[in-house]
Amino acid sequence: MNILVCIKQVPDMESKFRIDASAAWFDTADLAWRMNEYDEYGVEQAVRLKEQVAGADITVLSIGPDKVKETMKKALAMGCDRGVHITDSDVSRRDPAEIAGIIAEYARDKNFDMIFTGMQSQDRGSGQVGVLLAEMLSCAAVTTIVDFSYREGRIEVKRELEGGIRASVALNIPALVTCQLGLNKPRYPTLPNIMKAKKKELLSLPVEDLRKLESRQQTARIYFPEKKGGGLVLEGDPARLADELIQILKQKTSILA
Amino acid sequence: MTEKILRGGEYLICDIPCADVFTPEDFSDEQKQFGETTERFVTNEIVPHLDEIDKQNFDLVVEGMQKCGELGLLMMDAPEEYGGLELDKASSMLVAEKISAGGSFSVAYAAHTGIGTLPLVYYGTPGQKDKYLEKIISGQWCAAYCLTEPGSGSDALGAQASALLSEDGTHYLLNGTKQYITNGGFAQLFTVFAKIDKEHFTAFLVEKDFEGLTVGPEEKKMGIKGSSTTPIILDNCRVPVENVLGEIGKGHKIAFNVLNVGRFKLGAAVMGASKVALVTGIKYANERVQFKQKISSFGAIKEKIADLTADIYASESLVYRLAGLLDTKLATIEKGGDNYYAAYQKGIEEYAAECGISKVFCSEVLARTVDEVVQIHGGYGYVSDYPAERYYRDERINRIFEGTNEINRLLIPGMILRKAMKGELPLQAEAMKAFEALMTPSFDAVDEAIDFAAEKALLKNLKTLFLILAGTGVQKFMDKIADEQEILMAAADIAIQIFALESTVLRAEKTLSAFSERKQELLRAAVKVFAFRASEEAGSAARKGAFYVEEGDTLTMILSGVRRFSKFDATGLLAAKRLLAEASCEEEKYLFN
Ligand SMILES: Cc1cc2nc3c(=O)[nH]c(=O)nc-3n(C[C@H](O)[C@H](O)[C@H](O)COP(=O)(O)OP(=O)(O)OC[C@H]3O[C@@H](n4cnc5c(N)ncnc54)[C@H](O)[C@@H]3O)c2cc1C
Repeated sequence: MNILVCIKQVPDMESKFRIDASAAWFDTADLAWRMNEYDEYGVEQAVRLKEQVAGADITVLSIGPDKVKETMKKALAMGCDRGVHITDSDVSRRDPAEIAGIIAEYARDKNFDMIFTGMQSQDRGSGQVGVLLAEMLSCAAVTTIVDFSYREGRIEVKRELEGGIRASVALNIPALVTCQLGLNKPRYPTLPNIMKAKKKELLSLPVEDLRKLESRQQTARIYFPEKKGGGLVLEGDPARLADELIQILKQKTSILA
Repeated sequence: MTEKILRGGEYLICDIPCADVFTPEDFSDEQKQFGETTERFVTNEIVPHLDEIDKQNFDLVVEGMQKCGELGLLMMDAPEEYGGLELDKASSMLVAEKISAGGSFSVAYAAHTGIGTLPLVYYGTPGQKDKYLEKIISGQWCAAYCLTEPGSGSDALGAQASALLSEDGTHYLLNGTKQYITNGGFAQLFTVFAKIDKEHFTAFLVEKDFEGLTVGPEEKKMGIKGSSTTPIILDNCRVPVENVLGEIGKGHKIAFNVLNVGRFKLGAAVMGASKVALVTGIKYANERVQFKQKISSFGAIKEKIADLTADIYASESLVYRLAGLLDTKLATIEKGGDNYYAAYQKGIEEYAAECGISKVFCSEVLARTVDEVVQIHGGYGYVSDYPAERYYRDERINRIFEGTNEINRLLIPGMILRKAMKGELPLQAEAMKAFEALMTPSFDAVDEAIDFAAEKALLKNLKTLFLILAGTGVQKFMDKIADEQEILMAAADIAIQIFALESTVLRAEKTLSAFSERKQELLRAAVKVFAFRASEEAGSAARKGAFYVEEGDTLTMILSGVRRFSKFDATGLLAAKRLLAEASCEEEKYLFN
C-alpha cells in the first residue's frame, strides 16, 4: 500500500503574533515552528495503517522553505519512510487551490492508495487543501475524521456531527481523509527512531516544477479585530457588590427591566 | 569551530572567539527533537501526576522511568554495542533540562541516568555490562549510587563501609550503612562504595536481592518529596567477586569522575527548572491585580522578571558552552579502543572546574529564581495550592548534593591551581602580566561600534582581576593556600562570574545577526543586565578577597585595581530591564528559548 501524508509547518500557537509589513500575513521572525497539530494525527494514523498492512510505504510531503525539513524529520522519526520536500520560499502567499495543485502535480502518477491530511492548518485554517487535492486526483474524500479503520481495500471512518451525533462512513480506496482532533494520540518519536530517521530519504523538489495552477484568491489583509468596549470589574464586599450589579443591570440592560 | 581546543581553566587567561562556543541556537534538528519528545513526555505523562508522585506513590515514578526507557531517554550515554545511543553531551544536557519540569520525578531520572548508570558504563567489564546495562537503559531496573554514609558526606573517602573477601574467595561480604540514597526505595541495582580490608576504596555492583541488603525507611524531606531517599543497610551482604566495579582500591576515581558529569548535568537540570519557575512567575504577575493594575506593571516586579531572565540566559549559555567544550574534546578520542573510557574520563576531568562552575552557578540562579517567584506570588507563594511553594522547597537540595556548593567552590580554584602547578596552564606568567597592568594606567577607550564592547572590556578586566587576586594569594600562602578557604571561595566567585559572563557575551555575539531587530534589542538588554550583575558580584568578591590577602600599601593598590577592573558602564540599565520585563510579560515566556 502506498500512503501519502501531507504536513505543514506552522508557528507555535502560543507565540506572540505580529502582522508583517505586507499586512497580508504575520511576521515570521523569531517564531518557533512545529508540525500542524491536525497533521500529526494524520502522520500517526498513517503509521498505524503501515503497522497493520505489511509492505506499506509512507511518503510524507511538505511545501515550504528549508526549515520545514525539521518538521518533516519528525514525521520520519514517527515512522514515515521517505520525505518529499517541495522547496518554496513563498508558501505563505499561496492560496489553498495553488497548494493543492502543487501536491496533486506531484502525486498524480504515484498511485497513492491512501492520503492523509489535517482537517485544516492552525495558522491559515482554510480547511480546503485536502478536499481540493482529492478532487484534483479524482478520489473520494472524507473530512474531519475522528476514527479510522482499514480492511481489505476498504476504509471505515467516523465523523463527528453537531449535537453529539457521529456518522460512520465506508468507502473504497484510493481515498483521502482529513484528520480531526480525537482521531488518535500521536506518538512521541523515540530517540533511537529520531536517529534512524537521519538515514531516511528526504528528496527536495523545486516548487516551480510543480506549480501549474494560478492562485484564485488573495488575502487582502489580516488584522486583529478591534476590541469591543472593555469589561467592568467590581470589587469589594460581596453583599454590596450584588446590589451594585443589580443596579447596573437595571440601568444599562433590559434583563431586569 | 577552530582547530584549537580550549583547555580546562584556560578561559581565564585567553581571548576566545565567539565562533568557538556552542550555543543552544546550534542544536541540530535531531537534538531539537530529543528536546521536544522529552518536553511533551514530561508535560503529558509526568506533570499531571506530580501531586500523586509527591505523596510518594513510587509506582508512578517507576512507571515513568519505564516510559522513559521506551522513549530512549535512558540510553543516551550507553555504548551502541549494548543498545545505547552514545549521544553527545549537548543532547543529554538538553534532555536533562527538559526533564526538570517533572519536579521530584526528574531527581529520580537524573540519579538513574547519571550516578546510577555511568559507573557501569565507564568502568564495567563486558560481562557486567551484558548482565546489567540493558536492564538499566530500558528502565526495567532502576539504579542508585551509594557513597554517602552517616559519618561521611563531603568527606566521601572517609567511608566506614567495609568489604571482606569470603574464605572461599567467591564473594565479598559488605558491611555498613549508606545514607540518603536517591531511588533507594525501588532501585534494583546499587553501585556501593566500600573499603576492602578497611583500606582499599572500591566500588561494587550490588543487586537489591543479594542476601544481606536491606532498604531502610524513607527520609522525611523538605522538598523533592516524590523522590525516594533511603538508607541502605549492608549486613554481611554477599557480593560475588565478579561484581567488583573497576579496579580494587580505585573506587575514588569512579566516585569523583562520575560526579564531574553529575555536576555538569545538574547545572542543565536546574537551569530547566529555573525556566519553568520563571514562566509561572510571569503568568501569575500578569493575572494578579492590585491597586487596579496587573502587578506585572509595577517596576518592582518587572525588575525581578528582568533580572531572572538575564540570569537564566547566562545559565543556559554556560551549560551549553560547556557541553560544546566537552563534546569537542571527547570527539577527538577514538572510539572502541581498550582505553576509550580511560581517555574519555580524562577528557571530562579536563573540565572539572567548569563542571563545578555549572553546578554552583546554575543552582544559585535557581535559588534566586524560586525565591523571587514566591515573592511575586506574595501570600499565594507561601501556600501549597500554587506551585511556587513546591519550587521553593524542591530547589534547596541542589546546593547540597552532588558536592555541596562549598566543596565545589573549593574545587574550582583548586583544579585551576593544580593545572598551573603541573605546567598545563601558564598562570604564573599571566599573573605577572596582570600585575604589570595593575601598575600601568590604561586609557583603552571602549569602541562603541563593536557589539558588546563594554561587556568584552569588562571580561578582559575581570580576568586580570582574577589573576591579581589568585597570584597574590599563591605568592603569599604558597602550597598552604588550600587552608585559606575564604580566599579560595572569593577566587571561585570571580572565576564563576567570568565563565558565566563570557558564555553569555559570546553566545549573544555569535547569534545576534540571526535575529530580528526587536529580538536583538532584547538580547543586548539581557547581556547588559547580566554583565552588571557579574561586575558587581565579581567586584565584591575581589574586594573581600583583597582584604583577606593583603594589607597596607599593597592592599591599597589592589583595591584600586578592583575598582578599575570591575568597572562597568551600564548606561541604559533601567531601560534594558524594563524592555526585558515587558517583553517577557507580553509573551508570557522565557524570551530566549
Ligand atoms: C535528598 C538527598 C539525596 C541524596 N542522594 C544521594 C545519593 O543518591 N547518593 C549518595 O551517595 N549521596 C546522596 N546524598 C548525600 C549528599 O551527597 C550529601 O548530603 C552531601 O554530599 C553533603 O554531605 P553531608 O550531608 O554529610 O554534609 P557535610 O559533609 O557534613 O557538610 C556539612 C557542611 O559542611 C561543609 N563542609 C564539609 N566539608 C567541608 C570542607 N572540607 N571545607 C569546607 N566546608 C565543608 C559543607 O559544605 C556543608 O555546608 C543525598 C542527600 C540528600 C539530602
